[in-house]
Amino acid sequence: MKKKIFAALMAASLAVSGLAVNSVYAEGNMEPFGDTVKYDPSVEINNGEDITVELWEWGSDDLFQQVIDGYTEIHPNVTIKLVNNPWEDYWTKLPLSLDGDKGPAIFNVHNSYHENLINYMAPLDIPVEDLEADFTGVEAHVIDGQVYYIDYGMMTGSVYYNKAMWEEAGLTEEDIPKTWDEFREVAKKLTIKDGDRIIQAGLSFNDDFHQNYLLGLNYQLGENLFQEDGKTPNMTSDAMKQVMQMLVDMYEVDGVGSKDFGEKSADTFGQGMSAMVLQWGHYYNTLNTTWTDIDFGVFEIPTFDGDPYAYNRYNGESTFGINKNAPEDQQAVAQDFVKYFLANDDAQVAFNLAMSTFPAKKSLADDERILANPSLKVLSEHIDHYIWPGPMPATVENSLKKAGQDIFFNGVDIDTALQEAQDNMIRDMKNSSFQSVENLYAYAK
Amino acid sequence: MFRKSHPLQSKSEILLRNIVVLVMVVFFTVFLIVPIGIAFAGSFHEWNPLSGTYRFLGLENYKEVFTSALFGKSMLNTLIFSVVVIIFRVGLGLGIAYAIYSPLIRLKSFFRAVYYMPVVTPMVAVAFVWKFMYNPQIGVINQIFHLDLNWLMNPKTALLAVMIMTIWKDFGYAVVMYMAGLYSLPSDALEAAKVDGANAWQTFRYITFPLLKPMTLFVVITSIIAYIQAYVQILIMTEGGPGTATYLASYIIYDEAFVKYNFGYASALSFVLFVVTAAFTLLSFKVSGTEE
Repeated sequence: MKKKIFAALMAASLAVSGLAVNSVYAEGNMEPFGDTVKYDPSVEINNGEDITVELWEWGSDDLFQQVIDGYTEIHPNVTIKLVNNPWEDYWTKLPLSLDGDKGPAIFNVHNSYHENLINYMAPLDIPVEDLEADFTGVEAHVIDGQVYYIDYGMMTGSVYYNKAMWEEAGLTEEDIPKTWDEFREVAKKLTIKDGDRIIQAGLSFNDDFHQNYLLGLNYQLGENLFQEDGKTPNMTSDAMKQVMQMLVDMYEVDGVGSKDFGEKSADTFGQGMSAMVLQWGHYYNTLNTTWTDIDFGVFEIPTFDGDPYAYNRYNGESTFGINKNAPEDQQAVAQDFVKYFLANDDAQVAFNLAMSTFPAKKSLADDERILANPSLKVLSEHIDHYIWPGPMPATVENSLKKAGQDIFFNGVDIDTALQEAQDNMIRDMKNSSFQSVENLYAYAK
Repeated sequence: MFRKSHPLQSKSEILLRNIVVLVMVVFFTVFLIVPIGIAFAGSFHEWNPLSGTYRFLGLENYKEVFTSALFGKSMLNTLIFSVVVIIFRVGLGLGIAYAIYSPLIRLKSFFRAVYYMPVVTPMVAVAFVWKFMYNPQIGVINQIFHLDLNWLMNPKTALLAVMIMTIWKDFGYAVVMYMAGLYSLPSDALEAAKVDGANAWQTFRYITFPLLKPMTLFVVITSIIAYIQAYVQILIMTEGGPGTATYLASYIIYDEAFVKYNFGYASALSFVLFVVTAAFTLLSFKVSGTEE
């Protein structure tokens, strides 16, 4: 659901980012551009003969269309037909289409569907070393020496707070917490109650605690999500239990929120019912498009001791996939289009702002357009201290969500619930080809 | 194709009949028999049609079905859900139909239409509306009854809440069915009861209700089939939660097939559920004594 909302908001976020300008993509001249991965607009495509290819995506038509327009301005003989399939249908239609000979030459990728797509993808025609020189996290995408897609952006969690509530509680910028202990104290100050009844929650993590806390804070305590073999989940680790216990204590000891106060933390914050929420980057656009009345600020995720092994988990927003079953001339266009996208800084900035992701392109880390987005600015200092575990199967999130619900609602103790989650994951992943890439983290122990 | 052992009048009639039958045979073969066959074969495999995985596992999927605690729990939930909803569907349906059937009630068509409206409203829409009504902070149900309940996330009320919604949505079907049954009752039996001095309750107990038995059986069997397949309301209102408290058998199939893309295991679950549905249907016939 989170991903669907995220995708639906992309188009609207274009207006926010103020980058709805076609011409930026075309660069306006025929000189090669890019860092190590360079794009030479003067090279003719398909011998100058007309060719049409399809690009499939699940949302944000305008964003994609602008890149297409920039590309076809350089290569007027190429027509790229944009095909939108809603998220619900996309992941069924796309693999079935790629399995035949009528599939799109280019398609948008979400790494959560990696296993269903990778067998249909052609490797990029760009040297891996060149990609590694320009982009962060490429190594995690190398399969048998080849790369099929990489990340153009990294999304992770930050804390969003309601400025009006913050002020009413007598808090200032100086009170922005750096540690979880400080965070809990601030949350208490932001909580308003009428007897035992919560009027304003200091914090809500309902419905997304598994994504935003359980699958990430373990890294702060030096534990990976997967064991050394890269396949066995690590859900019963001391770190996981400590994080879960902290969540329980926030609600049941500190009383800064309640499992019954608001169905979803993202909505609760947007409706002005809670003062703080930990959400991933897409939430910045959600607040700017859906909850426009909320005056909010953003700060970096707190840590347990100020010196974490890593701050949190991140997930990459993926570059386009190329259909290996498409005709060769179409694949050639697709390869060229992907290279154009990777080399084009304006396109990279536009996509990252639209998605509220931190650019994977190293040269854009200090880009003023990126740093003008508060949700990205707070990540900039420690962005190299975030870990991508790899394209985890859905069972990881789903099993942890059930475990959390068992703890909060069904009275199951933490050890039992996490053990059950662990067992579920092992059973569901027994035939999975998933291999964690946590060992590729730059500061891996 | 067919031997001429029938009273059809002309070759054109026979041709038309053969075409119609052929179309139906092809339709059922392509859209029913073949998919069922593929699913049955798939139930013995590790099968993900999206990634192209298809590996023979033998009876592994079936072993997993019968040793799965979650499947057992889901079957129990399905049993509770089906029994409660069917009892209320039949009870309310019969009661309201009988009330509307009464000569004292006017605007019969109006009432029939009103009660039938939820039935023709899409389950997805109804489930979303009821989910909103159950909201612990702003839901109308808590406000009307001055309650402070998180209906859909409390393990004691979550399945009950879904059952209430399902009963509300579906009992109109039984109303319409029973009204059709009531209007087709033989008037001589009712008049004979009247002549014999039977009061209203006796007439209902000994004449009307027994005569409605075929209709009751029809409603019960169609309800069993429908509720063993119920999952949309669970998907929208609870997603099986809290934890796995509201998992129904068909929701597991959905979860395995369309969330985990584990089509082989989902197919095995489907066939087990098919057998269970058939068994309950046969049992209904047995209990009602109309097996023949």
